[in-house]
Amino acid sequence: MLEIIKPGLETSIQDYPGRIGYWNQGFPPSGPMDSWSFRLANLLVGNAAGAPGIEAQYMGPTIKFGADATLAVTGADMRPKLDDKPIPMWESLAVKTGQMLTLGPAVNGARGYVAFAGGIDAPLMLGSASTFHKAGVGGLDGHALKAGQSVPVKRANGTPGKKVKAERRPSFTSDKNWKVEAVRGPNDDWVDAAGHKQFLSFAWKLSARSDRTGYRLEGPDWTFTEKATNKAPEHGNFPSNIIDQGYPLGAVNLGGQTPIILVNDGPSMGGFICPWTIPSAAFWKLGQAKPNEFFHFNEISVDEAQALRRKLDAICSPDSIE
Amino acid sequence: MIYDEPRFLPGGDRYVLIEFGNEMNLELNFLAQGLASAIAQNKTKGVVETAPCFASMLVHYEADQISYADLVKELRGLIGNLGSPENIELDSRLFYFETMYLDPWTKACIEDYSAKITPKEYDPAFVARINGLKDEHQLVRVHSGTEYWVASLGFWPGLPFLMPLDPRAMITCPKYNPPRTWTPQGTVGMGGSASAIYPVATPGGYQLFGRTPVPIWDYERRFEAFGDSIVLFRPGDRIKFVTVDKAQYDDVEARVKDGSYIHNMVGYQKFSVKNYKAWVGSLDRSQRF
Repeated sequence: MLEIIKPGLETSIQDYPGRIGYWNQGFPPSGPMDSWSFRLANLLVGNAAGAPGIEAQYMGPTIKFGADATLAVTGADMRPKLDDKPIPMWESLAVKTGQMLTLGPAVNGARGYVAFAGGIDAPLMLGSASTFHKAGVGGLDGHALKAGQSVPVKRANGTPGKKVKAERRPSFTSDKNWKVEAVRGPNDDWVDAAGHKQFLSFAWKLSARSDRTGYRLEGPDWTFTEKATNKAPEHGNFPSNIIDQGYPLGAVNLGGQTPIILVNDGPSMGGFICPWTIPSAAFWKLGQAKPNEFFHFNEISVDEAQALRRKLDAICSPDSIE
Repeated sequence: MIYDEPRFLPGGDRYVLIEFGNEMNLELNFLAQGLASAIAQNKTKGVVETAPCFASMLVHYEADQISYADLVKELRGLIGNLGSPENIELDSRLFYFETMYLDPWTKACIEDYSAKITPKEYDPAFVARINGLKDEHQLVRVHSGTEYWVASLGFWPGLPFLMPLDPRAMITCPKYNPPRTWTPQGTVGMGGSASAIYPVATPGGYQLFGRTPVPIWDYERRFEAFGDSIVLFRPGDRIKFVTVDKAQYDDVEARVKDGSYIHNMVGYQKFSVKNYKAWVGSLDRSQRF
């Protein structure tokens, strides 16, 4: 059992890959935004890579242990401490009943992850423990963790002292700039050549009005092809308006003139075009970027995006633990 | 138009969007829903899930099980075997939804957006004006003057995407630029020619002009109409908005709160595509309510 002493800023229970199979009823998958760090945390404590664990964003929680446990902290550097003594990240360690884990503000990256041997024992809602807090779904009570809440952990023995091999850890930028892969489509033929060139050359600023549903980007206006302006009226008459359609997760969704990347808790359908899509293997970078940092997009093909995903899945395996 | 050949559009490493046409048309929705059913029956390898909408359908697939090229080949085959929607007759439930148009809550939301994000004209006045209607009161009459077809569910848990079945009630408007960061729960609004009910407070891009207290998703399963589902609607349902005043709205809201609300739904009707098309063909589409 864990006791939440301080909840931090929107600390939530997530599992991987989350709530899959309900996109046609409007349920997003949720799950950890940086699944690379999340999966490695689980593997460190001997869990299946997708077992329920904790995602902390920007400002971490303080957690008191009601029982002995094995844990691992990965992801953003939140200067983790056990009873005021700094502890290593990317490494499993044993904690005793009554000890206190504190995660502070994220120094590098934005989201920290904590896995516990056995995994968090949260009820499954449509097959997943992941929290989709804007709709009140999943986790313990549909919402982020609150002070005073008790979080049950399944009993299991982890092995302390396991480490993630150095070359298998994600590296987070320290200069506020992120290179992020993007795949053309599905609605790329609504944007003209100048618009695409601008998407790939501009440093897009991540807006503070961003959350786990969408990442709003600040930048110049988009330019369109004739298709976007000469169309049936039921699309809606703004150039980026299209008859409502299913959205890929990761879509760069053009809300009016504002590009919004649809992330883990994003909407499944809507009436704006999606000229680009961020592939799943690049989501961890989105998860670790803070507002006012910059994205530089580089184009890759569908095949390259699928190869990157295979590579990431291979990294998120017990081979990476020593 | 309905395309001769559907278009296959990639969405990153795990999605393909299949576009059947580029207009709002019941036949296109039947194609999208029909392909979703065919994939489910066929258990197409590598397909994780589908999301059919008005004129297109999104497929989520697992590239380790099927390549993009093979998936497109499979889907072409299934589409080729879809019958014509012409002879379809299906059970279609009709829900009556008590709705307060020109309500104070969406008005407050629009004012908040105007103050904090970007100034904009009051949505009902704007939608009435660009559709050549006399004023927002005629907008209410036109918008509530038709049954709506639940073409799909999406955007947010349980949110119905609605198409007006009476072409005399077909109006259009642009979506917000940029979208809102919040919308009141139960808001009724539209974008393009699609209408929707917002199930909970969410971001959104539609123009707003009404609010319903009737729940369309029920996490705690308090209402009988949901059966064993937590979302009220399924594709092929119909909705009729019934205009109510503030006192009636408050009464329904109180019944929802204490759990005694009974959804006003009829379930004895079949929807015939042939009859519908014949009826639409008989109308003078230039008429307005």
